[in-house]
Amino acid sequence: MLIPRRVKHRKQHHPNRHGAAKGGTTIAFGDYGIQALEPAYVTNRQIESARIAMTRYMKRGGKVWINIYPDRPITKKPAETRMGSGKGSPEWWVANVKPGRVMFELAGVTEPVAREALRLAMHKLPMKCRFIQREGGDI
Amino acid sequence: MSDTIKLVAEKRTDFGKGAARKIRRANKIPAVMYGHGTDPIHISLPGHATMMALKQANALLTIVIEGDEQLALAKDVQRDAIKPVIDHIDLVVVRKGEKVTVDVSVHLEGEAAPETNVTLDRNVLEIEALATNIPENVVVSVEGLRAGTQILAGAIELPEGATLVTDAEALVVNVTQQVSEEALEAELADLEAEAGIEREESDDDAAEAADGASTGAGGESAEKPDES
Repeated sequence: MLIPRRVKHRKQHHPNRHGAAKGGTTIAFGDYGIQALEPAYVTNRQIESARIAMTRYMKRGGKVWINIYPDRPITKKPAETRMGSGKGSPEWWVANVKPGRVMFELAGVTEPVAREALRLAMHKLPMKCRFIQREGGDI
Repeated sequence: MSDTIKLVAEKRTDFGKGAARKIRRANKIPAVMYGHGTDPIHISLPGHATMMALKQANALLTIVIEGDEQLALAKDVQRDAIKPVIDHIDLVVVRKGEKVTVDVSVHLEGEAAPETNVTLDRNVLEIEALATNIPENVVVSVEGLRAGTQILAGAIELPEGATLVTDAEALVVNVTQQVSEEALEAELADLEAEAGIEREESDDDAAEAADGASTGAGGESAEKPDES
C-alpha cells in the first residue's frame, strides 16, 4: 500500500477541503481516466482497492497510472476516551482530492474495457467521479 | 490541415475579473492576441464557435477584428476544471509561409504481436511545420511488433514539410511482454492480503467454478462429504 517512507511531522492539521483542483485536471499519461467531481479524502486502502479492481478486470492488458498520493495523516482518538490529553494517534493516510482532479489513468485497452474497469474502480472511491478520455490532442 | 476557421472578435476595453465574468455570462470568451512584436490586443470571441473550432488540434484561426483579418494559432487554452467551458485563450499571431513549432498528437495504428502490451510513452511530438500546413496527427504503425521493440522519435516518418523538434532519441512507443496469468494472480493476491481486502467471488468466477465442477467431477457423488 502507498505510505510515506519518512515524514517531518507525525500529526498534521486536517487538510483543507475547499476549492477546486489547481492542477492535474487533464489526462497526462494514458488515454482514459477518472476525474473527481467532489472533494474527498481518499485513503491508501481505497486507492489500492481501486487499482486491484481495475487490474483484475483488464487482466494482463493495459497500463494503470495513479496520479494521487496519500501523504496526509489523519488521527483518531480511541473509543470511549475523555476529551483532552492531546491529539489522537495517526490512523490513516489520505490523499486530499479536490473536484476536477484526474486520479487514475489507463492506456493500452479498448474503450469498452476501459469504461468498465474504471466504473469498477469508481465504486471503490468515496466521491462522485466521471469517466474522461483523451480526444485528439486535448480533452 | 483543413482551411482556416473564421471567428469575428470584438475589442475589449474593460479588464479585470468583473469584466471577464460579464463577457463569459454573455456566452463569449475573453482572449488576448500577440506575436511578431506587436502590442497585445485584448478581444472577446464568440463562445460556441470558438469551442467548436478548438476541438480540432492546432486549428488555424482567422480572427476578424473591426474588419481586419489576422491568422492566429491557439497557444494556451484555459479550461474550467469541471465544467466544459473555456475561461480564456491566448492566441499567437502567425503569417502565411511562416514556420511554427507545435505539439502534434501521436496516433497508433495496427495490432502488435499477441501477448504484448503497447505503451505510448510520449503522446505528442513537437514538430516544426508551415502554419498553414500543420498535420492533424502523426501516425505510427505497430502492426506485428514483437515484445522488446522500441520506436524512437527519430524513427517516425513525419508528414511532408514537417521537421522534428523533439529529441530524436526520445522513446515514443514501447512494446513489452504481457505478464503471465499466474504472476498477475500472485501479485494481486499479495496486494489484497497486504491491504486486508477480502475478495468476494464474482459471478464470472462462480460460473467458471461451476463449469469446472460439472465437467471435472463427472458424477453426482464426486464431492459429497464422507458420511462414515
